[in-house]
Amino acid sequence: MTLRSYVISRILLTIPMILILLTMVFLVIRVLPGDPVLLHFEKNVDPDVIQAMRVRLGLDKPLWIQYFDYLFGLFRGDMGESMQDYSSIGQQIFSAFPATLELAIFSMIIATALGVVLGVQASKAYNRPQDHVIRIFGIVTYALPVFFLGMILQMSLGLGLHLLPVGQRFNPAMQTPVGLSIGSLHFSSGLYTIDSVLEGNMYKLVESLRYLCLPSLTLGLVLSGVFIRLTRSNMFETLRLDFVTAARARGLKENKVTYSYALRNAFLPVLTMMGLQFAALLGGAILTETTFSWPGLGRYIVDRINFRDYTAIQGAIIVFGIFVSVVSLVVDLLYAYLDPRIRL
Amino acid sequence: MGKADTKKSMLSAILPGLGSLAKRGLAGWLIIVGLIFVTAIIMITVISPWIRPYDPIKINVGPPLIGPSAQHPFGTNDLGQDIFSRVLSGGGIMLQVSLLSVIVCLAVGVPLGLFASYAGGVVDRLVGLVMDSIYAFPGLVLAIAIAAMLGRGVVNMALSIAVVYIPSYFRVIRSQVLSIKEMSYIEAANAVGAKNRTILTRYILPNIMPSIVVVATVNFADAILTAAGLTFIGLGVSVSVPDWGWDLTNGRALLASGTWWVITFPGIMIILLALGFTLIGEGLSELFNPRLEQ
Amino acid sequence: MVLIGIIIVILVMAGVVGYYLTMPTGPAVKDTLVMGTTDSVESCLDPARAYDYFGFEITQSLGSALVDYRPGATGSIDDIVPALATNWTVSSDGLVWTFSLRHGVMYDDGTEFNATHVKYTFDRGIGIEDPDGAFVGVGYGDIIQSVTVVDKYTVRFNLKIPFAAFLSLMAFQASFIVDPKYAPMHGTSWNISDVVVYTEGNARASNPMGLGPYTLKNWTRTAGKDYQMRLEANPNYWNASAGLPKTKNLIIKFYADSTVLALAIQAQEIDVAFRQLGPTDINNMKTNANLHVWEGTGAFIQYLCLQEKYAPFNETKIRQAIGAAINRSTLVNTVFLGQAQKLYSMIPIGMGGHTDAFLNLGDPNYTRTTELLAEFGYNTTNKLTFTLWYETSGHYPQSAQQAQVLKSSLEASGVITVDLQGADWPAYRGKRQNEEMPAYILGWYPDYIDPDDYIYPFVHSSGGSWIHHNYDNPQMDQLIEWARGNTSATARNSLYSQIQNLMVTDAPIIPLYQGAAYAVTKLKVKGVYLDITQVWRHWLVYVEQ
Repeated sequence: MTLRSYVISRILLTIPMILILLTMVFLVIRVLPGDPVLLHFEKNVDPDVIQAMRVRLGLDKPLWIQYFDYLFGLFRGDMGESMQDYSSIGQQIFSAFPATLELAIFSMIIATALGVVLGVQASKAYNRPQDHVIRIFGIVTYALPVFFLGMILQMSLGLGLHLLPVGQRFNPAMQTPVGLSIGSLHFSSGLYTIDSVLEGNMYKLVESLRYLCLPSLTLGLVLSGVFIRLTRSNMFETLRLDFVTAARARGLKENKVTYSYALRNAFLPVLTMMGLQFAALLGGAILTETTFSWPGLGRYIVDRINFRDYTAIQGAIIVFGIFVSVVSLVVDLLYAYLDPRIRL
Repeated sequence: MGKADTKKSMLSAILPGLGSLAKRGLAGWLIIVGLIFVTAIIMITVISPWIRPYDPIKINVGPPLIGPSAQHPFGTNDLGQDIFSRVLSGGGIMLQVSLLSVIVCLAVGVPLGLFASYAGGVVDRLVGLVMDSIYAFPGLVLAIAIAAMLGRGVVNMALSIAVVYIPSYFRVIRSQVLSIKEMSYIEAANAVGAKNRTILTRYILPNIMPSIVVVATVNFADAILTAAGLTFIGLGVSVSVPDWGWDLTNGRALLASGTWWVITFPGIMIILLALGFTLIGEGLSELFNPRLEQ
Repeated sequence: MVLIGIIIVILVMAGVVGYYLTMPTGPAVKDTLVMGTTDSVESCLDPARAYDYFGFEITQSLGSALVDYRPGATGSIDDIVPALATNWTVSSDGLVWTFSLRHGVMYDDGTEFNATHVKYTFDRGIGIEDPDGAFVGVGYGDIIQSVTVVDKYTVRFNLKIPFAAFLSLMAFQASFIVDPKYAPMHGTSWNISDVVVYTEGNARASNPMGLGPYTLKNWTRTAGKDYQMRLEANPNYWNASAGLPKTKNLIIKFYADSTVLALAIQAQEIDVAFRQLGPTDINNMKTNANLHVWEGTGAFIQYLCLQEKYAPFNETKIRQAIGAAINRSTLVNTVFLGQAQKLYSMIPIGMGGHTDAFLNLGDPNYTRTTELLAEFGYNTTNKLTFTLWYETSGHYPQSAQQAQVLKSSLEASGVITVDLQGADWPAYRGKRQNEEMPAYILGWYPDYIDPDDYIYPFVHSSGGSWIHHNYDNPQMDQLIEWARGNTSATARNSLYSQIQNLMVTDAPIIPLYQGAAYAVTKLKVKGVYLDITQVWRHWLVYVEQ
């Protein structure tokens, strides 16, 4: 199969997948016990008022009409209104998503960096004590409940040593990073680190990094285990391949051999894993976001479930799903491009 | 090869005796340690009604929020419940939930994976699509939704975790089946006229068993952590059953005031249990993939 | 290689620490108070729709009403003080209230506040008729017939029924006066779309208030929850001459839960922590030499509802038996560490008309319980068994713990077995609607500060229908209606005494406890008043220099 037809078929497959996801979400949350209409009233109001609210929330129409209304709305780019405070879902998600994205990126950086470095060390010290210690480290961090680890870090580094903030995303005494403004043109990525750089404000950059520290450290640690294992096994194989032995025979320094030659080849699976883990990260961010009061999409979903805010939950999960599909699509395409055997 | 042979080959791979396991290097040790953790916890939970000093759900058996002491080795929580008794008895929910979810996954995921990937074509594509969609659904969110939908209880929690995990089984099985399918002895079996069902059970299943076992152990570990996560979100079982997940959640609110023991001991137990399964899985996957051993 | 990595990490950390140490500490605004809370505005800051605690808290800092409660109020009519109205009279039949308004109060655009604005506010609130809001929830439309402008500084309310609590209603946050410029009518008549909602990036357009001690400078919400709020002193505030607000700038930081909030105040990242801190945290902070714990009367109550539609609680005596088996001491001391009060009436302690009526049932009196249940054949070998439900979303404080304590207290009678079942708030709410729960715990924050607001919504057959416990006693209804309409304090007190006794006899609801209000601040913070009005007076709080 040529690269082009593979790309096309992969992209085409993504669409029905998203559709199925959407349908699943739509149905699953409507089966949840508890009526979003009732949640607007504590004390009974007369049935007319309740019916009026039902109409207002669009819940009086038959299910399949609601479904298609929602579908066509999505095509137009309209994710609807929150069933709780009637504000635009698109806007709410737009403000929550970058927070999760930023957390995911930094957690991934920590996980990969830690994983690769330790994995390389482990592969070189194969079956010796250093290897065992590193492997056990990877396994133990994976078995830690994310919120447990988060709390420990909060208590030790946050409250105990007073080094890092224990919650929130940014210092409230300062204006949040606003990004780049040229005249009337305004660009902001929503990622505070990038926006600080765009703004040229180093203090904001440091602040956003400070707040990112604990949450991304928590997630990063828990995820590093996977990368440790992967890097370790791949590096071990690669280091025994012919071209590496040849490089050594030519007298290249060990470090150069390890990092310039071997790692570059062993890295491809790591890249793939990064893509896959990204999806896991987005989902797993929920617990971290709750622990650290991180205003991301994960926390948003949990809050909205409490309100049975159908449109909000649908919208958030669709965004998650689309992002995950895009990331895995990119990873698959990258892999296919780099390794022609995989295109089957 | 038949059912008995399948079992035998499994057993002979997993259980030649702890002695020979230890000879297998780190992988063997991982499995041994993991098994020790898991069996110890299971045993403790089972005999807990006889060995625990207090009724774990009885309130005010001691002054509230006292730290580890002679009367209460693990301290008491805000309701004056003895944490040591709760730790002894609290594993039940997690063990039940994870066991049940693994059983459901095996019962549903394995046949599904086998038939869909063996059949190939449209069926494979379709089922794969649904599996991918579930996979793309943030796992915890789906579990939350299903748990909220079905209500509380061990069974419902297990079901929600199972639904989230089935796609993982599917993927692993599918990749294995696809490679085995092309092998010559399958072609031979086909040529001889063996029924599809026979091929699946006698040839393919035994060969993918090792991978399934590994995924199952990871499933166990993940189920425990997800159960803890669901409880954290507020979807745990009724509070009249002692549960580590609940203690973890409850203890969190107390942590800010320096009450570290409510969250620490149940937390350690959860970690040990999840760790146990993970170690077994790690060890097994090393054993079954001996490429690194030379 | 690893060595290089370590060196890089050390350099980066050094750089970060260096920047951090040399960084200017935020905008150099002196007169600023930072408050942390776990609340969030639920819908908006428009009194026509806002019906949540925090929405009210901000509304009353941004606006003013005809009357107000003086700080330290105990809920009696004497605690009502003039605000935008300086004087008022009520007709002898209780149907006409006339208010004389303060002169010289200015909106921010230079318009002078007058009677037309009052009429505008109430016509709007009643006209919009937002089912989400207090106008519908409390039933303003059932109380107020019309509002008329007598002259520039005199406004008149014509009521449909004599309503003794009318002044309390006028002090209630939904009655705050709006600024028509920011609360316009878009069509030809009032419509729900006229409600002023959150507008991203435009704090002024996000609220229709205008006469309060503060103006809303900045309001960011991310994903449906508040992130940050900044309030600045209103130069046109009618009471600015009294030096109010005491703190010119207010920053409100929002936290996801009590743990993070507790950590933040302990780390001194904020000046004030208010709502919600757990009892253990509060106890802990009482011993913290760097923090001050403020304690005050709460108006929040929780109570046990018993479903009368089916067995076992369709029998009055069985309900009484339950009431006699509640050990409030354990509840208050174990769950709330003494930070609450045992409550023996639906009317809170400290409010006029309160009597410890339920003490008659016992606290606890297990002999009484055993006797009452014996009539139905329940004893130690044949126990009364039922399911007690609790909510798990944190909608009420420590619901799971309360349930466990109640279970223990009821089972201590020896003749009762309680199963506990939890549900998250929407499911719990749904089950209440469907009358599926035999016993369930609910809570109540007052709307207007009057015993009527603690009685009518509970034991009046139509007022209490939202509880879905199917209690209906025409005699009770009559007593309640008399008490609502009668403006004489003596008459009302006597009526409420009868009402409370009747409640004990019928035992439809068992009051459990009344929570105290707590705030934790840095030592230099002063001016905190925690009284029964539950109003957090931002404008009185300041940091001592």
